[in-house]
Amino acid sequence: MRFWLYLSITALAAADGRLLPLLSQHCGSCHGGTQTQGGLSVNSMESLSKGGKHGPALALILPHITGEKTPRMPLGAELPASVIAEFKSAIQSIPTQAPIIDEHWSWLLQNPAQSAPPKTKNTAWPRNPVDAFILAKLESQSLTPAPVANRRTLLRRIFFDLIGIPPTPEEIKSFLADPDPQAYEKQIDKLLADPRYGERWGRHWLDLVRYAESDGFAIDGERPTAWRYRDYVIRSFNNDKPYDQFIQEQIAGDEYRGKGTGPQPDRIVALGFLRFAPWEADANSKKQLRQDFLNDVTGTVGSVFLGLTTGCAQCHDHKYDPIKHRDYYRLQAFFAGTATADLPIAHGTVENPKEMKRQQRLHDDESEAAQAELDRQREALKQKYMSLFQVKEDDAKVKQFLGKLNTKNLFFLDQDLPLVKEPEWRQPLKNYFDTRDKMQREQELARRYQALAYAVKDVAPPAAPDVPDTHVLIGGDLIARAEKVEPGFLFKTTPAEIPFAGGSNGRRLALAEWIASDENPFTARVIVNRLWQRHFGEGLVRTPSDFGRNGEPPTHPELLDWLATQFIERKWSIKSMHKLMLTSAAYRQSSHHPAQKEYAFNDPGNRLLWRMNWQRLDAEVLRDSILAVSGRLNPVPGGPPVLFDVPEDVAQGFEFFKWYPSSEEEQRRRSVYLIQRRSVIMPMAELFDAPNLSTSCARRLTTIVAPQALTLLNGALTRTEATHFATRLEKAADPVNEAFWLALSRPPTETERQTAASLANKSLASLAAVLFNLNEFLYVE
Amino acid sequence: MNRRQWIYQSAFGLGSAALGQLLAADKRPHHQAKADACIFLGMLGGVSQIDTFDPKPKLIELNGKIMDWSKEKKTDQPNLFAKPRKFVASPFTFKKYGQSGREVSNLLPHTAQCVDDLAIVRSVQSDNGNHPAAVFQMNTGFIIPGNPSVGAWVTYGLGTANKNLPAFVAMPDFRSIPFSGAQQWGSGYLPAEFQGTVLRAASEPIRDLASPSNVDPKLIEAERVALRGINSAFQQERPDNPDLQARIDSYELAYRMQLEVPRVLSIDSEPDAVKEAYGLNDPITASFGRRCLMARKLVEAGVRFVEVFTPSQSWDAHGDIKKNHEKNAGETDKPIAALLNDLKQRGMLSKTLVVCMGEFGRTPDTPGEQEIPGRDHNTRCQSMWFAGGGAQGGSIIGTTDDIGHKAVEDIYHMHDVHATILHLMGLNDMRLTYYFAGRNRRLTDLGGRLIKQILS
Repeated sequence: MRFWLYLSITALAAADGRLLPLLSQHCGSCHGGTQTQGGLSVNSMESLSKGGKHGPALALILPHITGEKTPRMPLGAELPASVIAEFKSAIQSIPTQAPIIDEHWSWLLQNPAQSAPPKTKNTAWPRNPVDAFILAKLESQSLTPAPVANRRTLLRRIFFDLIGIPPTPEEIKSFLADPDPQAYEKQIDKLLADPRYGERWGRHWLDLVRYAESDGFAIDGERPTAWRYRDYVIRSFNNDKPYDQFIQEQIAGDEYRGKGTGPQPDRIVALGFLRFAPWEADANSKKQLRQDFLNDVTGTVGSVFLGLTTGCAQCHDHKYDPIKHRDYYRLQAFFAGTATADLPIAHGTVENPKEMKRQQRLHDDESEAAQAELDRQREALKQKYMSLFQVKEDDAKVKQFLGKLNTKNLFFLDQDLPLVKEPEWRQPLKNYFDTRDKMQREQELARRYQALAYAVKDVAPPAAPDVPDTHVLIGGDLIARAEKVEPGFLFKTTPAEIPFAGGSNGRRLALAEWIASDENPFTARVIVNRLWQRHFGEGLVRTPSDFGRNGEPPTHPELLDWLATQFIERKWSIKSMHKLMLTSAAYRQSSHHPAQKEYAFNDPGNRLLWRMNWQRLDAEVLRDSILAVSGRLNPVPGGPPVLFDVPEDVAQGFEFFKWYPSSEEEQRRRSVYLIQRRSVIMPMAELFDAPNLSTSCARRLTTIVAPQALTLLNGALTRTEATHFATRLEKAADPVNEAFWLALSRPPTETERQTAASLANKSLASLAAVLFNLNEFLYVE
Repeated sequence: MNRRQWIYQSAFGLGSAALGQLLAADKRPHHQAKADACIFLGMLGGVSQIDTFDPKPKLIELNGKIMDWSKEKKTDQPNLFAKPRKFVASPFTFKKYGQSGREVSNLLPHTAQCVDDLAIVRSVQSDNGNHPAAVFQMNTGFIIPGNPSVGAWVTYGLGTANKNLPAFVAMPDFRSIPFSGAQQWGSGYLPAEFQGTVLRAASEPIRDLASPSNVDPKLIEAERVALRGINSAFQQERPDNPDLQARIDSYELAYRMQLEVPRVLSIDSEPDAVKEAYGLNDPITASFGRRCLMARKLVEAGVRFVEVFTPSQSWDAHGDIKKNHEKNAGETDKPIAALLNDLKQRGMLSKTLVVCMGEFGRTPDTPGEQEIPGRDHNTRCQSMWFAGGGAQGGSIIGTTDDIGHKAVEDIYHMHDVHATILHLMGLNDMRLTYYFAGRNRRLTDLGGRLIKQILS
């Protein structure tokens, strides 16, 4: 970390007295007093900033004393690491710039204001207070909102938005025919009560929490029971769990003392949130690995719940926001006693415990049988080897040969065992590796059914006598330990009060209750903005995980505050906020405005929301929609992950694990249930901008690239499902008509009918494939 | 703040891709580029500098003697260094080659003949001695996942020179792909359009490139006409959504790729002499050779950045330095020399930068109890080289200590290698930034130093 390169000359004037004495002591004999070797004097900050023949000297001190630059200083001697750390700390203490509480931050630090919706000239348009805020802003610019979208568009919009699957022809037709003035509202209620809602909105949350079912890095070991967290999230959304409780469970479920206290498996499962970062299982430095975990948690808690880039203060004071380097470690101190742990749980209340146990036993039995068979084959191979080379069992060669059998796969065996190329060896060896595969596969399956939560726990006495100290780390470097700090909330100077909480140390609980509090100025604003972002395509703050000065300022700060206060008033109910936003006139606007050209010229980003934004389907929604339209989506919810097919050459390349795809039927389940393995991202998800699984993803990009077209034109999913879609259509009286209703919720236009019919006469499957590739299929108006 | 990115990012609600492509068309280098394209040869596992480009005669007298590690605080593999270790002299012999008279070992007889084209840097260091972290750093600058790869940055900076082909191509060895798979050539937080496209040695070089074989080509054509017709009508009624046109264009590009890619990659049409030179007739060299030849053809067709990798951890010679390195050099040396010669003969080398390196170097010693000597991980120095594309052939940069344990002069970091690649391709690493999670990010983090001595 070379943060000191950034120090400006002006900052030098403010330096404290720590650096000069150090310089005088260690460098003074050549650069102090009257000595000015190389033209450099360390007598004053001025002479340092003037520097010697190599220019200003402050930025050169560390590179030369650490040996990063030659010659290493002081000449002929190496400073001990402790002195170097002192230098680092002294240089770090030179303030870069004092945190400025500007207008933006003084707004942000205050609790959301409970303001009355503004008055508007047009009183007919607003349907609820949300609209008053939107319209007032439009009117101030002499703009008018777009007309309301047609009913078909509206229904498709809320279906994709809330459950991520298009309406069936019956659903759309009955809605179009429903004379009830509340028909639209009824549809929203119906979809919010639909269990597929949690599958759609849970996925948004999984994006944020860098959810993955493997460690990443080289080994990328599976996290076999991480899926319980995914199901927990889906359930929480479906049950409209109050968001404050949802937060507390994920940070401190084990210490939870809110409503409905008591040991609930879900509260342990929820702790997985703290643990989803990549994990370098074979890291050389376990201390660094532990620090990486702490850094991830400190950064992720800040960005997910508070919308603050706290991670930026890991090495130095935040460059834009009033978050001091020290504050970062005060925040980190809440996790100082927390360690990763797989915790036994009673099978969740919603899981089927009998079935879980049965599956585990089944796969255990299978793997034991395979193990026995493997031992038998191993013995046979050994005998074969011994007789070939005429050696005894205790010969080193035999030992070596058996060692090779533990190798990863035939390729690796190939490298050092020429034997493999002999035909009479090839088959038995292949059988041996196949058996090992089967055993490993069964073991892998059994592990997924274990009654374990992928979680954390506090290290308490007697395992650890006390919570370890937290120190400020200069430059984020573990060896550069500076001041010791106590847990403290951001923007509060006094240490946090830690409630006692049973076997744990209560620190996380304190943090969780501070975050999930009506009084926290960030939490409600950040989540209502995230909800708005998913409904409208853009947040009111368009950098949803960065509310700071380097993010974008809110387009409608008063609306954001009003929504935040509503959210708290509505007892942190996410579903009630959906309803509020979706029933607004703003949401019901058409995505086309009659004065589009003129408006788009002045406001190309549609910041004032004079029309609805188009949205492209997410990767998962696209895949689920294709399966839904072909009639083959397998609706089974929850449970261990589904492994999709990967090309054979890809499958053979994994060094530390084998890839065992699930059954065809399983593979037709919703995308949220597909395994999220860091080194094996599903190609279609990767192409259509799904998150990379390593860091929190607050907002997906939408790119348009040719490989997307190739995969939708030629890929196995399209072609297989097109065939089934065609089979479904064959039964219809008017297949072309039915095809359009299923895929697009409307009949074809006359021109479309001609085009489609001529293609359908050649092949219905081809028509089906074309429909999957249409812009209208991929984009929601 | 970089305004261009702000515009780029803020505009996603309106018409991301259309605007993105607009900007892509506008991509200009920061300064006059020396190289239009780069071929990166990734020697996974870590090549021993002591046995290739950095002779250490001192090790001949030290061979078998015990190495004292008590003065070294940090080691890359603490477990291996806890016990006594002994020095290992190179089992290979060195000779001077070419006009430049640079020393190369007899492990690399073919590359040695090209030494006058190589700019060898003996002093490149990196931050982590574990393969996965180190491979991440070689490819993305950082030891943790989630960051864009060098090729993604280059493509983001320069766009493509052939609209019918992906701008960035990765060719791993499918016997064992690099750790974390696609993340090594991924776009990280950059938009997905900058991610590397994997070319496979299998019959279908790009996933889903070929039309389904069980559908009549006439039907495929009819589908194409129907798709275009319905999409155009839909777009014409909604001219204010630029994504719709961009997506129609992406289909046209996909159809062109279906024709262009097999044409570019067809190796059958290459003369026998070329196939022989790349080692395609020998099963040992065929895999790497084929991918080197494909790299040349791709660059010739306008691809910006091509990566060719050896199998994951292939050079990782803990167990037997001689056997391991002979095997791996046997697979790669001839094809690499053929690539350099081929580029040169076609007049392409001056505009094509070739970079060859591993994730780290190797140690001068082996665990004391080990009978057959190996070499372990060493982040303190490795020998890597640049060729062509503005690199000064025949030059040698950096010095290591007399046992080849660490660089002592002209020390460079992996960031510096990346800064130099970008520089030669016309990009300034300090200016090539992308706003993500609170700040402008760079390939070289806080900036790399240019390896000035290699510039021609």
